[in-house]
Amino acid sequence: MANYIVTSNRLVGYDPGDVITDADLEGANIDALIEAGHLSTQSAKKPAKTKTIETED
Amino acid sequence: MATSVYLSNPVVTINSVALTDQCTSATLNYVLEQLETTSFGDTARKYGASSIVSLENNSVEVELYQSYAASETEATIYGLVGIQTNIVIAPASGAASATNPIYTLTGAYLETHTPINASLGELSTVTLTFTGGKLTKAVS
Repeated sequence: MANYIVTSNRLVGYDPGDVITDADLEGANIDALIEAGHLSTQSAKKPAKTKTIETED
Repeated sequence: MATSVYLSNPVVTINSVALTDQCTSATLNYVLEQLETTSFGDTARKYGASSIVSLENNSVEVELYQSYAASETEATIYGLVGIQTNIVIAPASGAASATNPIYTLTGAYLETHTPINASLGELSTVTLTFTGGKLTKAVS
């Protein structure tokens, strides 16, 4: 099952940045939504890992 | 007392995309094709019967303001020509209820789109007619 990122504020029920699947879009034409810029097939980027370094004064 | 309906904020969704704020008119036609059931002995034409369910022949006509901006009217509609999609229309936003039925036309077909429809001094609009599809009405 493919995942999509919502990229517009017009997709009903979702906000930009939401990750949804085919099942969430039952009946909708997904290719047309991608072509129109409402969805992206790119996977969401993981937040960069942060490392805390303690330094001694 | 008679009541009249003034629709100021109906909901129009095409292919799961909210286009209410671009829409200026919407007409949903719910049609069950008329089948003649007149037979010998009848003295008047008859159509349909309790045991006969004819084909639906529904259609939706919407008028939208044209916009070529990202994710707006043109981008949303262009890719729908020649394929089936879903249309959702309701008298008002909010949950489905007896006084706010939500109509969903599943599998409606868009044959024609007019990407350019411009006249000097007027806002550009597009009129779309979706045909076919199965209509459902949700009241809860």
